[in-house]
This record gives sequence, C-alpha cells and structure tokens, in this order.
Amino acid sequence: MSRYIIRRIFSVIPTLIGVTFVIFMFQRLIPGDPAVAMLGEHATEESVERLREQFGLNRPLFLDREALAEGDINGFFDSQYVRYMKRLLVLDMGESIHRRIPVLETLKIRFPATIELAFFAMFIAIIIGIPIGIISAANRNTPIDSISMVGSLVGVSMPIFWLGLMEIMLFAVMLQWLPAGGRISVGVEIESITNLYLVDSILTANWVGFKDASQHIILPAIALATIPMGIIARMTRSSMLDVLQEDYIRTAKAKGLGHSLVLFRHALKNASLPVVTIVGLQMGTLLAGAVLTETIFSWPGIGRWVYDGILGRDYPIVQGGTLVIAFVFIGVNFFVDIMYAFLDPRIRYN
Amino acid sequence: MAEITPEEITVTDFAVREHRSLWVDAWRRLISSNTARLGMFIVAFFLLSTTFAHFFWEYEPKKDLNYSLKLKPPTLIPNEEVPSVHPFGTDKLGRDIFRRVVHGGWNSLRVGIVAVSISLFFGGLTGLFTGFYENIDTTHIEKLFLFGLTGLVLGSLSAWIAAQPIQAIFFAILGVIAAYFKDFQKGKALRMVVFAIAGALIGAILGAFVSSAVALISLIWGAITGALLSRPLEGKFFSNVMMRLMDIILSFPGYLLAIAIVAFLGPGLEKGMIAIGVVGIPVYARLTRSAVLSVSQKEYILAAQSVGEGHGRIIFRHITPNILSPIIVQTTMGLAGAILSAAALGFLGLGAIPPEPEWGSMLGDSYRYLTSGAWWAVLFPGLAIMFSVLGFNLLGDGLRDALDPKLRT
Repeated sequence: MSRYIIRRIFSVIPTLIGVTFVIFMFQRLIPGDPAVAMLGEHATEESVERLREQFGLNRPLFLDREALAEGDINGFFDSQYVRYMKRLLVLDMGESIHRRIPVLETLKIRFPATIELAFFAMFIAIIIGIPIGIISAANRNTPIDSISMVGSLVGVSMPIFWLGLMEIMLFAVMLQWLPAGGRISVGVEIESITNLYLVDSILTANWVGFKDASQHIILPAIALATIPMGIIARMTRSSMLDVLQEDYIRTAKAKGLGHSLVLFRHALKNASLPVVTIVGLQMGTLLAGAVLTETIFSWPGIGRWVYDGILGRDYPIVQGGTLVIAFVFIGVNFFVDIMYAFLDPRIRYN
Repeated sequence: MAEITPEEITVTDFAVREHRSLWVDAWRRLISSNTARLGMFIVAFFLLSTTFAHFFWEYEPKKDLNYSLKLKPPTLIPNEEVPSVHPFGTDKLGRDIFRRVVHGGWNSLRVGIVAVSISLFFGGLTGLFTGFYENIDTTHIEKLFLFGLTGLVLGSLSAWIAAQPIQAIFFAILGVIAAYFKDFQKGKALRMVVFAIAGALIGAILGAFVSSAVALISLIWGAITGALLSRPLEGKFFSNVMMRLMDIILSFPGYLLAIAIVAFLGPGLEKGMIAIGVVGIPVYARLTRSAVLSVSQKEYILAAQSVGEGHGRIIFRHITPNILSPIIVQTTMGLAGAILSAAALGFLGLGAIPPEPEWGSMLGDSYRYLTSGAWWAVLFPGLAIMFSVLGFNLLGDGLRDALDPKLRT
C-alpha cells in the first residue's frame, strides 16, 4: 500500500509543476504590460520602470541567455519563472492589484466559504441521489425506475445558473421564505474559528447565527447539488444492478433472507465502490461549478472572486485562485485514487 | 409437437435469416427504446427548428428594438397595450423572446457542435496514435523520424541558449544516428556513455565559439540529450508524455479553464468554441486511447501487422471502425455538456456579443429583471437550454444501450 502511495505521489508531481507552468504562462500571454495595469494609464515611465524592476518583470521569462553569454551562470537561471516558483514555495502569491490585499489573506476567508457550500451541496446530493439509485435498481424496469432515471437525467442536464435563478424567483421573490443571496444577514455575527459559518455557529452555540447561515446556504447548495445528484443516482443504480446479478445475491435470497437485508447488507456494500469514486470526482467538479452558483447567489467564495478578478484584470487574484482550485482538484483526485486502492486491493498490484 | 430429425434440417434453414449489419442491429435496438426515441425527437426538433429559422425566418438582431413593448408578459391574443403576439413575452428592449429563443438556438447549438468537433478531432487523433504506439514496436523509418525529432527538440534549447541554430541540426543528426545504429551495444551502459560524450562534444565545441559559460551549459545539456537519445525510446515514452499533458489540462476543473481561456482571448462565439473545444480534448484522448489499447492486441490487428500492412492503414482501417461505439456515445453526451458550457459562458457575459441572440447570454441579460417580476425573460431561454441538453443526454444513453448490449444493465 505505502509503495503504491509513493508511486502515485511521484506521478502527481509533474502534473502540479505543469499546472503552475500553465498558470504562469497565462499571465504572461495577456496582451498589455502588467506594470502599466497596476499603476494605471497615467503613470510616468520612471515609476513603471521601477515597478518592473521591483517585480522582476524586466527579467526574461525562463532563462537569461544574454547573462550566460557574458559568463554569469547565476544570472542565467534568475528568470521570472524561477522567481515565481521560489515565491510559491513560501506561499507568497502577491497582492491584489486593485485592493492591495495579499492574495493569501483573502484566500483564507474565501476558501472556507466555497468549501462549506461544496460540502453541503455534496451532502444533499448523496442523501437524495443514493436512495433514488437504490429504489430504481430494486424496481428495475418499472415506471418508478423510468421516472427516477429520466428525473436524474433532467438533473444532469440542468443549467445550474438557471435553476438558481428560478429558485430565487420562487423562494426569495414570490414566497419570500429564504434570502436571495449572500452568506449571512447584516447584523448577525458569527465568531470566526474555522470560517465555516455552520461549524463555527455550532461550536459557539450561536443558534441565531446557525439558523441564519443555514437559510442562506440552502438555495445555492440545492442548485449546486443538482448535477452530482443525478450522476450519483445513475451510478448507484447501474452499480447495484451489476451486483444484484451476482451469484452470492441469489444465494442470499435462496437462503430466505429478507429483501431489504439482501439489498442493503449484501448488495449496497459491494456496489458502493464506484459510487465512492464518483462522489470524490464530483467534489472537484463542484468546486468549479461554484463559479456560476456563487455569482448568482452573491456567495463570497473563491469562484466568484476569481471570476471578478478575470473581469477586473486583477491577475494575482486569478493566478492565486486558479492555482488553489486546481491544486485542490488534483488533491481530491489523488485522494480518491488512494481510497480506491485501499478499498479494492486489485488496483494496487496492477 | 412434431419430432424433427436431423435429416430434415437443411442448410437453407440457417440462411433464411436476412443479413443484417451491426449498425442496422444497433439502429433497431435504438428505435425500440422509448427514452432514446424521445431523445431523438427532442434533438431533431431543436436542430430542424433552429436551422429552418436561420434560413427561412429573417431576423436582424441589430434592428430589433421597441421600447414601447419593454418587458411585456406572454401575450397570445393581441390587445391595445400589446398589439402583437408574443408567446414568450418580450425582454428589456421590447424584443420578442420567442423569436430570439428560436434564433438563439442556432448560435448555442453551433457552439456546442463546433466545440465538440474540435475536441473530437484533436483528442481522437491523440488517443489513436498514443494508444497504438503504446504497445506496438515502431518501424525502422518511424524510429529514425522519432529520434531525429527528439534530437531536434532537445537540441533546439541548447541552440537557443547559444544563439547557434546549427546546434539543433547536429543534435537531430545525433538522434538519427542513434536510431540507425539501434543494435550497437543494445541496452548497455557503454552505449549511453558513448552517446552522452558525443552530445557533450557537440554542445561544448559549438558553445565554445560564444563563451566558456555557454560551453559549460551546452556541454551539460548535450550530455543529457545524448544519454536520452541512447535509450531505446519506444512509443510508450512518447505516449506517456502526451498523456501527462492531457492530465495537466484535466487538472483544471471544467468551466474554469474555459472561462480563463475566453477571458484572455476576449468574448465572442468563436472564442467560446475554441475554449470549450480545447478543454474537452483530454476526455476524448483518454477515451480513444483506452479503446485502442483494448483492441490493439486482438488477433485481427496482429494478423494485419503480420501481413505487413502499414501502421497508418491499420490505425484507420482496422482499429478506428472497431472503437467507434464508445466514441459515438461520448460525442453525443459531449454535445450536451458543450451546450451547457456554452450557455454558462454566455451567461457570464463571455459568449455571443450583444445583440446577437444566444440562450446563455439572454439569461445573463435578463436575470436582473427577475426581482421586478419578469419571470418569462428568464424561464424560456433556460427551458430551451435544459431540453436541448436533455435531448442529447437521452439520445446518448439510448445509443450506449444500442451500440453495446453488453453494457446494458
């Protein structure tokens, strides 16, 4: 097992380096001078030059062949990319151009918001998706099966930004049951420990805050949960159907075990492996889907922040935010791989 | 029941069953499924209606403007306030939403189709070649080409550092030599040492014309290049490099990379097509590669190889037809995903440039009016997105069952 993990870690490293490289290149490929973008159109040539010096923007991108031609081997490696990687190693992601706040500081507040939303959405997707899949498989080829499968396909086909808007219209504008956006109402205070509002409010026994935070999270979480819910339901059904054809299920039934006992104890347990995988993989997708949901519900998370950064040409934000999302995505996939190998020993020896 | 003796069964009894090809069989299975028929109907409905509208129902988005009809609810019977029929109501500029939904479909579906074509073309070719060469020995000519190319690519770095283009050509020649003398000291350390020294000499001698520091760096890089070229670089190595590249694209979750690409290219339908297409390439590359790997050791491929058929012919005549099923299914489902991504880009204001109609950007234009009660401006474009995506998904599901009965559960 440990050998497998080490092998997987080594295969992830080139991907991580590749991701940093792609993000680095994106910033350099944008038309226009970042120094001018930082100082504005009316900056003097001198101050632009000083800033370029300060941020190393006057260095070559990868390798300085002119320095080498003059015999300076240290100067040869002193490039923008090397400096960027050195800064990344000490978690220095620069500061936002417009607001001058370090990217890392904002990340610490915004990242938990996205994580909270994604986990809550995944929770909804699991507690609804898996039962639908089981019911569907147990009633194979009946109207219940067809309805729930077409229903979950509608979920997979859902434009979540549209669903979010429809939710706002119905529950926030027409019925006025739930708030239309934001993470918490003005005036409600939650002491921040983990910055996950639901967790923090429970830890501090702040029930007013808990109620308010859960009212805010429910609509965006439902919108975000729709697609994974459909995918999980379909995966559960097909995996259950595979298992239900096995000999040991027939044996269990022949022994006279109850229907539900066979279904849950014998079938579900063995059918859960692909479901676990798909849950893990969907977790990464949820983080990306959060860009749309967060925009509609004014959720102060990382997705909306990156999107605003893109529109405002605030590149350190785009760079830092994309990097974190991509790293989390790779990390989740890595974790799923390890889990899979842990649950199914056949994978390890392949 | 009458007894049938073996003598009564004739050969013709087996031959009476009409000849049916694999595809005809699949088609029959497809149209026998209710959900697949529904999917086909929805897809055909959207494709036909938008195509007809595009060619036979004139619409000039730039001239479509009527403030007196701003944000009117759906009207089926003309009255004093609204003198014309608007089954889906009107938007903030008084434009008929029904008309814009029908015409917007042309743009939305086009983005999806072009984007999937881009992913399918590049991803499919990558998958075909990497999958094929993963297990199959390269021919002599292919080896010469691959080694020469590797030498050229690696050598060009050293050539760039020293500003001597000639270096790259020397390294390419070194690669060709390594491929030509492929049996010299095969797999021995001596071979690696010989080629590393040769590479180091090329780098150092040419680099010395510039400066001693350049000569040193060129020497180190030349030795590495030579050592690598001395290895028996098989298809597997190149296949791994390609797949790593695909992994990097895949590490950016879905929309985010597409949004980033469009943000840097600038908004527009064509840019959206490229962005969504590029993001989809790894999916098709991986799928095609695994399908190729599963057939490339089958007897008919080995037979084709043993009678001396060329690699290109084997890939396109023998492998491709046998791996089409999963690719057709993925393409259909991919269309659904691409339409959804295109709508998402449009919604974020990164799609069609106004006033061009497109479902996603229609939503993005109108959602601010939701709080003032204009639900129709948001409902209908959204329904169009949902139903077209659902149609492709249903069809893809049906195709999977029809094309591969083994997978049917």
